[in-house]
Amino acid sequence: MEIKRREFLKLLGGASGAIALGSFGCNQFIDVPDKIIEIAKNGAGIESWKNTICALCPGGCGIKVRLIDGIPVYIKGNPIYPVNQGGMCPLGHSALELLFNPDRVKSPLKKIGLPGGGKWESLNWDEALNIISKKIIELRNEGRPHQVVFLDGSNQHGLMKDHIERFMKAYGSPNYFQFPSIKNDAVPYHLLQGNSKIPSYDFLNAKYVLSFGINYLEESYSPVYYTKLYSYLRGSTGEGRTRFVHIDSRMSLTSANADRWIPITPGTYGALALGIAFVLIKEKLIDANFIKSHTSGYEDWVDKNGIMHLGYKNNVLANYYPERVFQITGVQSETILELARELGNNHPSLVLGGDGSSNNTNGTFSQMAVHSLNALLGNFEKDGGIFYVDETPLKNLPHFELDDIAKQGIEQNPFGNSLDMAFPFADFSIQTLIQNILAEKPYPISVLFIYKGNPLFQTLNHHEFIEALKKIPLVVSFDSFINETNEYANIILPDHTFLEQWNIISNVPSVGFSHIGIQQPVIEPIYDTRSSADILIELGNKAYGNNTKPFPFEDYVSEIKYRVEGVYNSGEGAIVTEGLKGSWLEFLNQRGWHIGTYDSFDEFWNLLLERGGWWNPIRKKKGFSEIFNTPTRKFEFYSQVLKNRIDDIVKKKGIDNSTHDIEFVLGRLNIKTRGDVIFLPHHEPIPYDDGMPIYLTTFQPITNRDGHASNLPLMQEMFGFLTRHYWTSWVELNPETASAYGISDDDWVWIESVNGSIKAKAKIHPGVMPSVAAVPFGLGHTSYGRYAKDYGVNPNSIMKNLYDTINGIPATQSTKVKISKAK
Amino acid sequence: MSKWAMVIDLDKCTGCGDCIAACKIENNIAIVDPEEANSGRVMFWIEMVSVYEGEFPNIKIKRFPKPCFHCENPPCTKVCPVHATYKNDEGLVGQIYHRCIGCRYCMVACPYTVKVFNWYEPEWPVEFRKCFNPDVSVRTKGVVEKCSFCAHRLIKVKEEVDLEGRDIQDGDYMPACAESCPADAIYFGDLENKESKVYNLAKSSRAKREMENLGTEPKVVYLSKRE
Amino acid sequence: MKLNVVNVLIPIIAIVFIFALWVLFAGQSPIIQPISYNHKVHIEEAGLECIDCHKYAESMTRASIPNIDLCEDCHGDEPISKSPEEKKLIEFIEQKQNIPWKQIYSVPDHVYFSHRRHVVIGELNCSNCHGNVSELTAPAQYPFLIPSMGNCIDCHKQLKITNDCLACHF
Repeated sequence: MEIKRREFLKLLGGASGAIALGSFGCNQFIDVPDKIIEIAKNGAGIESWKNTICALCPGGCGIKVRLIDGIPVYIKGNPIYPVNQGGMCPLGHSALELLFNPDRVKSPLKKIGLPGGGKWESLNWDEALNIISKKIIELRNEGRPHQVVFLDGSNQHGLMKDHIERFMKAYGSPNYFQFPSIKNDAVPYHLLQGNSKIPSYDFLNAKYVLSFGINYLEESYSPVYYTKLYSYLRGSTGEGRTRFVHIDSRMSLTSANADRWIPITPGTYGALALGIAFVLIKEKLIDANFIKSHTSGYEDWVDKNGIMHLGYKNNVLANYYPERVFQITGVQSETILELARELGNNHPSLVLGGDGSSNNTNGTFSQMAVHSLNALLGNFEKDGGIFYVDETPLKNLPHFELDDIAKQGIEQNPFGNSLDMAFPFADFSIQTLIQNILAEKPYPISVLFIYKGNPLFQTLNHHEFIEALKKIPLVVSFDSFINETNEYANIILPDHTFLEQWNIISNVPSVGFSHIGIQQPVIEPIYDTRSSADILIELGNKAYGNNTKPFPFEDYVSEIKYRVEGVYNSGEGAIVTEGLKGSWLEFLNQRGWHIGTYDSFDEFWNLLLERGGWWNPIRKKKGFSEIFNTPTRKFEFYSQVLKNRIDDIVKKKGIDNSTHDIEFVLGRLNIKTRGDVIFLPHHEPIPYDDGMPIYLTTFQPITNRDGHASNLPLMQEMFGFLTRHYWTSWVELNPETASAYGISDDDWVWIESVNGSIKAKAKIHPGVMPSVAAVPFGLGHTSYGRYAKDYGVNPNSIMKNLYDTINGIPATQSTKVKISKAK
Repeated sequence: MSKWAMVIDLDKCTGCGDCIAACKIENNIAIVDPEEANSGRVMFWIEMVSVYEGEFPNIKIKRFPKPCFHCENPPCTKVCPVHATYKNDEGLVGQIYHRCIGCRYCMVACPYTVKVFNWYEPEWPVEFRKCFNPDVSVRTKGVVEKCSFCAHRLIKVKEEVDLEGRDIQDGDYMPACAESCPADAIYFGDLENKESKVYNLAKSSRAKREMENLGTEPKVVYLSKRE
Repeated sequence: MKLNVVNVLIPIIAIVFIFALWVLFAGQSPIIQPISYNHKVHIEEAGLECIDCHKYAESMTRASIPNIDLCEDCHGDEPISKSPEEKKLIEFIEQKQNIPWKQIYSVPDHVYFSHRRHVVIGELNCSNCHGNVSELTAPAQYPFLIPSMGNCIDCHKQLKITNDCLACHF
C-alpha cells in the first residue's frame, strides 16, 4: 500500500514545473504561479465577486466567482441568471482546478519528433504565428485557401461560431465544422418539420412528460436548467402534479427521478414510440383536428402521378401492435397500453427523445418516431407543448467584400460533404472528414485548425482518425491542454481558460427563452496565453490582397460589444435582475411598457457585466407555417424532405432511376426497410454482430460529460460518486445477467467486441436492463495530463465504426459484445 | 439561542452530486489517492447514498445526500476523550482538529458514519493558505473531520449582522451545499425561529428522521412522500 | 543488569529541558524589518491615523500592512526628511519593488481572527493588542501581546465574550 502511495505521489509531482508537494491536501492538485502566491501571502484578504458564464459544458450557467485579493477561490451559481437561477452542477465547482491546473499549456508549443510522440518545444508567440501565417498566405497565393479546414469542438452556443465562420469566409474556405453539431442533432426535426431548430418544451404547464432515452437531468443541453424545472414541479404538492415517465435501458439520473422507469432493449426506442402510437390511434386518443389541418401523410394518400402511398396510420396499425413491439423492445404489452393511455388522457402531455435513443444507427428514425407522438397529440405552440424561442437581437457584423481568391475558395465543395452517399443530412460527420482526408478527395487538406474539444477521444474509429491527422501537413490546435487529438498537432496555441476570457453565450438550445450570458475574465491570464478569437482577428486581417478587413475591431471584446449594441437598440427584454419574473415582464409588455430602459449603451453594457446576462421571456407567438417549413407547409409524417433527398442521390447515381439504383443507394445507407416505410417514422433494425449476446451501452455521468473533465482531480474522484467508483470505470449489469456469467459485485469483467476488449469492475444492480452492459464514458485517456492519463477505460475504443445512417452522429449504443469474468 | 438545522426535500433532490462538489471546494477537503479512495478512504463530508427497492422491472431508487446530522444528542461527543468534538450552544456539533488525537472513537460511535479520517499528511507551503478557501484550514494527518454546517460562514454572517445592528434572518446563513443546490432541495435555518422555512418543514407530515429510535435527535430532516 | 533509573533519567531530563529552552527562545528572536519605520514621526508629525495605512483594520479580517503603492502617495522623488530609512524606501519605490515586511503578529490558519469584529463591533483600541505604537520610533521587534490562545481566552473571559471553539476554529 505504502509503495503505491509513493508512486502516486511521484506522479502528482510530475516534471513540468508543477509544485511537487507530496501531499494529500487540496493544494497538491494545483499549480499556482509565483505572482499569485505573492498576492495570497501579502494581500489584505479583500473579498469581491464577479459574474461570468461557466463553459465546462454547453449548458451556459451563470456563475459568481469569489475572489480574495483578486484570486478566485470559490464558485457559486448566479442567483439572478435565468438559466440556472443560482443552481450549479458538480462540474462547475471544479473550474478552479482548470484554472490552476499543472498540465496547462503555458506557451505555444511545436511538435518535435514523431506525431503523437509527446515531444514538444516551446516557441514564442511571434514564431508560432509566423509559421501559421506563412503557410496560410502561401496557400492563398496558390489559390488553394479551401484546403484549410476548421474543426470547432468547443461545444459552446455563442458568438465564437460566427467569429470563426467569418474568418474562414474572408480567408476563402467553406470548411468550418462544429463537432458535435446542433444541426446534426436537429435532423429528425428537419425531416418532419423542415426546420433545423431544437425545440423547447413547456414542462411547467405539462401534466405528463414521457421521455425516450434523453437524460435531461444529466446530459442533454442544459442539465441545470432542467433540474430547476423538474424540482420546481416536484415542489408543488397539489394533486395536478406533473408525472414524469422515462424510458431508458439503464436507470440514469433522469430515470431514477422519474415517477416511473421503463427499461427497454437498447436501440428499439422508435419501435416503442410507434407501439404507443398504435394504442393512441386505436383508442382515438389523438388530436384529430390538428392531424387533419396541420399534418400530411397520416392517412394513405395518392400522389400527383396517381400512385397510392402508405400513410403513417396504416403503417403503425399494421406493424406496431403491442405484442410485436414487446418482441422488439422487451416492454410488456400491458405497459405499452398503460403508457399510451396515460399519455393520451393527461393533457397537456409532452414527448421528448435524445441521447440513448438517438446515438444509434437508427437514431434519426427513432427520433422521428418519438417526435411523431407530439404530432398525434397536437403538441405544437400551445401551453404544455413544444415551442421555439426567438433569435437574440444581436447586431450583425458589418458587411465586407471578398476578394477573388476568397470567392473562388468558398465556392468549392465543402469538405464535410460525403463523397459517397452516406449521411445525406449531415453537414458534417467526423467519419466523412476522416475518409475524405485519407482519400484526399475532393481535394487534399493542407491545414487543419482545431478549436478546443477532443474529437479523437470522443469518436469511434480512433485508428483511422490518427492516420488522417498524420496526413495533414499542418495541424494547429487552439487549446489549454494537450489531449489525445492535440498530440497529433504540429503547433498548439494555448488559449485562456474560460475564467480568463471574453465571450458571449446565447440561446442554449432547448432553454425556453432567448438569452445572452456574458463571459468575462475574472482574473488576468495567469500564463502567456492568448485568446483564440483575438488570434483569428490578427490572422484574418493580414493583407491577403483584399483591402476590406473582415474584422474592423481591435479585439474580440470590441466585437462582442458591437454585437450587443443590437440587443440594447432592440429595446426588448431586460438585463437579468433580482426578483424579475417572466410573468411580470409579460404583464408590463401587454400594457406597452418596457422594464429594460437604459440611458445609454454604456450603462447597458456595464450593467450587463455586473449582473451577468440579458433575457427576454416574452416570445413572439409563431404560426404553424413558421414552424413547419416542409414542402407541404405541414408536419409531414411522410417526410418529403427525406424522399426528395434520397431521390436526388438515386438520380445522381443512376441512369434510369431503376430499382437497382434504389437498392444500391439504400444498401449504402444501411437502410433495411423498403418502400414508403423508409420515409415514415419506423423502427430500423441495428446491424449487430452474430455471436455477441450483450448490448454495450454508454452513458455520461454529470461529473464528466464527454470526457473533458478528466483532467480535474475532483471530477475524477467524483466520477462514480453514486456507485462508489472513484477515478475508475465500471460496468453495470443486471443481477440476472451477472449470475448467468458467474459475475459478482466488484469482480473484474472483460468486455469483448469484434474490435477489442476492455476490463472494468462489475457493479451489479437491478437498475439496468438484462443483457446490457452499461459503461460510463469519460475515462480511459491516453493523454490529457497527469490526472486523466491511464485511469479507467474508454468504451468507444472497442465500438464498431457505426454512425447514424442519416445524420452521421457516431452510433455509440449500437455495438454488441461478449462478457466474461476476468481471472 | 438559535438551533441550526437542515431539511432535505428528497422529492426534489435529483442526486446530481452538486452538494458534494460545493462542499469539497468550500471546505478544502483533500482528494485521496485513487486506490486508497476505492478502499474506503475517500473523503466526503456529504455523500450520496443509493438504495434500490423492488424487483426488476419495477425498480425504485431511494437516494439521499448524507451530511453530518448534528444530533441534539450526539453519540460521538460522549466518547471523545479530549473534548475535540462537542455540541455548542447553537446545536452545531463541532470538530476541533487541533484538539483531535485521532483515536477515531467518534467515528465508531457515529451511527450515521459521517466522519472521515485523515490518513495522510497534507503538507503544503504556507503560501497556499489562500487556495482555495482561506476561511477554512486544511487538516493535518491523523485527525477526524466532518461536515461543520459551514460554521465559518456563520461567524461571517454574525459579523455582518452585528455591523448592521440587526438579528440573523432566515436565509442569511447558508452552507455551501444548500446555497448551490440546483434543485433547491436543501433548506437551512433556525429551528427556534418560528418564521423560518426549516421550522415549518420539519413539522411537515413528510418529515422523516434517520434512525430516530436511537434517540440521537438528528437535526438533518428528510422530506419524502415515500415511506 | 539492572538499569540505574537516575542515570537514565537525568540525561533525558536535561535534553528535554534544553529542548524546551530552545523552543522558547528560538521562536522569539527579534524581528528586524527591512526599513526601520518610525511610527511616532508618521503619527505626530505627518498626522496619520493607524487606519490611514492599515487600511482594512475596520473592514476586513486582516488590517493589512501597507507597501510602496501606499507609501508613494507621500514619498516621491524628493525625500521629505534626511532619514537614511526614507532613502531606502525611495529606492524600493524607484525599483517598483515591494518592501519585504516581516509579519510580527500572525495567527495559524486554523484560527479565524477578524480585525473588523474586534475593532468595530468589539470597540477595542489598536493599543489593546499592539501596545502604544504611536510612541515607537523604530518597528517593534516582538509582538506586544503574543497572539496565543491563552491571551485570547483571558480577554474573552474578562469581557464575557464567547469561548465557543467554533467561534474561532474551522
